[in-house]
Amino acid sequence: MQTATAASPIHLVLVEDDVYFQEALRLAVRDAADIRLTGVFNTRAAALDALDGPPADVLLVDLGLPDGSGIDVIRAAQSRWPGCAVMVSTTFGDEAHVLQSIEAGATGYLLKDSSAPRIADEIRSLHGGGSPISPLIARQVLLRFRGQERAGAEAPKAAADTAVATEGAARGAVLSERERQVLELITKGFSYEEIARLMDISRHTVRTFVRRIYAKLEVGSKAEAIYEARSQGLLSI
Amino acid sequence: MRNKPGKPAGGPQGSPWNRGLSRGRGPLDVYFLGLLLLACLCCAPRQAHAQEMLHVTQAEMMQAPAGYAGPLQSTIDPAALTGPWAAVELPHTFFGHWSPPAAAPGGRPALVTRWYRVRPGAYEMPSHTASLFVVRGQMVGNLAIYGDGRLLFRSRGSLAWNVFRHPAVFVPLSQAADMPPPKELLIRIDAVNGSTGALSTMWVGDGRAVYGHYAWRLWGEYEIPFMLSAAFLAVGLFSLGVWCFRRGEPIYLLFFGIALCTVLRRWHFYEGIDWLPLPDPWFIWLTMNALTWQTVLLHRFFEILHRRHHPWLGRTLLVLAVLCTLATIPAPLLLHGLVQFRQTIYGGLILANTVVIGLGWYDSWRARSHEGLVLAIGHAVALFMGTYDWVKFNSHLIDTESIALTPYVTGGLFALFGYVMFRRYVRALGHVEEVNASLEASLAAREAELAESYRLLRVVEQRETLNRERARLVQDMHDGLGSSLMTALRVVEHGRADEAAVAEVLRACIDDLKLTIDSMEPVQTDLLLLLATLRFRLGPRLEHAGITLRWEVNDVPALDWLEPRNALHILRILQEAFTNVIKHTRAREICVTTGLVDDGIQVTVADNGPGFVLADGLKQGGRGLGNQLRRAEAIGARLAIRSDDEGTRFSLWLPLRMQSAAAASGATPASAAATPA
Repeated sequence: MQTATAASPIHLVLVEDDVYFQEALRLAVRDAADIRLTGVFNTRAAALDALDGPPADVLLVDLGLPDGSGIDVIRAAQSRWPGCAVMVSTTFGDEAHVLQSIEAGATGYLLKDSSAPRIADEIRSLHGGGSPISPLIARQVLLRFRGQERAGAEAPKAAADTAVATEGAARGAVLSERERQVLELITKGFSYEEIARLMDISRHTVRTFVRRIYAKLEVGSKAEAIYEARSQGLLSI
Repeated sequence: MRNKPGKPAGGPQGSPWNRGLSRGRGPLDVYFLGLLLLACLCCAPRQAHAQEMLHVTQAEMMQAPAGYAGPLQSTIDPAALTGPWAAVELPHTFFGHWSPPAAAPGGRPALVTRWYRVRPGAYEMPSHTASLFVVRGQMVGNLAIYGDGRLLFRSRGSLAWNVFRHPAVFVPLSQAADMPPPKELLIRIDAVNGSTGALSTMWVGDGRAVYGHYAWRLWGEYEIPFMLSAAFLAVGLFSLGVWCFRRGEPIYLLFFGIALCTVLRRWHFYEGIDWLPLPDPWFIWLTMNALTWQTVLLHRFFEILHRRHHPWLGRTLLVLAVLCTLATIPAPLLLHGLVQFRQTIYGGLILANTVVIGLGWYDSWRARSHEGLVLAIGHAVALFMGTYDWVKFNSHLIDTESIALTPYVTGGLFALFGYVMFRRYVRALGHVEEVNASLEASLAAREAELAESYRLLRVVEQRETLNRERARLVQDMHDGLGSSLMTALRVVEHGRADEAAVAEVLRACIDDLKLTIDSMEPVQTDLLLLLATLRFRLGPRLEHAGITLRWEVNDVPALDWLEPRNALHILRILQEAFTNVIKHTRAREICVTTGLVDDGIQVTVADNGPGFVLADGLKQGGRGLGNQLRRAEAIGARLAIRSDDEGTRFSLWLPLRMQSAAAASGATPASAAATPA
């Protein structure tokens, strides 16, 4: 990901049918010189068509579109705009929707009631490689990788150092010990700055860890899909 | 003496009888028909070898002049038997006239010797293989056969043994080249003085032919009944085994008793034991009383089948049986009396059986006992057969050579009792199946009942959960979102619509909503996760208000009562605390800490604002604090607020373990302490 500069503003595309939020976003972006809203689409179909066009830097997608789920748009964007960071807009940031989006390839989410400056900040942060993650979602991610049991935490230290033995491991995605540590601190309410201090690393590294975790979730879910497809005979690989 | 003309072979084998067998008859019918067929086969004289045999039907007889001819000699001079010889037709019966036994020297009974002379004459017997078959010799005594003056055969056993209807003798007459077939046969019979006896016809001729004839008779008349008896006894033993384990069902013991008596009763018909380990008098006593007791048992058996009781008859039979058993105990001198009188006793037994069977029939018919009727009919037939034999034996009205029917009674009785027991057995099995089926059915019914009551319980539980949830949400909406919206509405209505104020109120509403939703996420037992969620939600607002948050939480034990309902209480209490800091103080920093205090977890929210007087606070924002106290009470928590110039410390103490009553209803009074500075 390249860092945004004044010379090359962040190209933002919005997929959202709520005109008020469209307006709120326009207002938020108008004040930010480094963000340019290059497209607004009301429907899933329009958004999928738009993916044939020039790629944006950040794609902000609402899940509840009038003609289908925003998840499809996120998936399509993953393959057609590989360099684009996808963000989900949500009212409450509830884990069910957010996790689903992350698995589809999103790397962040935006709460719709955020203030205008915060919206711009979130977009910048995402573009810069940062990903927000709420404590509840962090916990879900931990559970997802750990399986239902806490076996991973009690595994021998040597094994725990390299990777947590997980359900995900079987599917090819494994959390590293540091990544797991970050997630656990997030579930305790610590901010990225505090985590960086506690783990004696830079804030940037914490963001990298989180971004990697997002990627692993997506990989995990893809592997899971392939595994499912193979076991159901849909794939002959 | 005459040569029996040859007839074309073909006996009753080809009779139309066997054609009816395949037509849906009961197994019993088939069984009886088979038995009848077999009997016909056995009775039918074998004609195939008639040419090679001579059927001897005439002889000459003389009685020894001295009465008894003395001990048996290996040779005699036929010429010494001077007669007088009388021509007799075979079978020949000699009648004795009962007189008190004149004791012979040595205490042995007085015997009378009779001679029968047979001369084959014109019939040329084959050398090497010539044989003799005496169909039957029946007497209280012994029999010996001489060929041309040489002893060829002597009967085995005691005097009494030959009374019974044993298959008679098969004797080879010439077995070697230098042994020409005899020209004259002499049969010596030594019988107890005064007893009745008989000699049947005889067959002489080719050994194979004669033996074939003999073998058929042996098989049909003795071996088949013997096998039937053995089978009857085997089933009786099985029945005894059943009774050993089911003492409450005497019918099984009765069955065994009847089987045993039946077999004992007829033991003397069976070939095989010539020398019984039992003295003759005791053997006679045993066979006779077997029939006596069989009658007693039969009566009891009938009673069980038709369930109509005749205690008087039962008692009478028992008394008679005991009397008869005791009266016939053999004293040495009584032997001859027994031999003579046993036929009389049999007559009495026939009478007793007639009563028992007749009454059994009548009762079975009245009681509609199918089994009793079958048994009565079978026994009536058996009684007829027995009576037939008895009459025949006593009156000699019937051919000596005919077959006694009594031995076959065993087979019939075996079939009858077997049939009864079989029906009971099958019925018992069916009953067990029925019981099992009904057990299964009642089990299934009970299971269904249980499932239904569980379902109802679940429905009730679900409804209660829903009600609880609704009450919780309604309460929450009322305290939080509802009152906030009301405030906003009032502000707008009264025209004091400061946009920022309205936005602030609405923002608070959304925060409320978010916390409500968060409370429904499963945090399980993790208090820090709950606090983290609160920070995540309120963080932006604090940031917006320019307040720095110091997050200094430490790991705390799991709270197993941290379900959504309780989680929301904690969230709201702390939310109120944060809101108070934002609204009512000019604090620049908030510090959140957690720690263990008094078997509980203490969450402290400390700010560096100038502090406030609690009483004033209560006056202004009383409702907020009241809500906090109420919520704390619901979860058994304690609140403490300490305010001074340095700032305000708000402490929430949560018990590690919630009392069950509080967990269920939140009714436990909480000790809320508000300590003014």
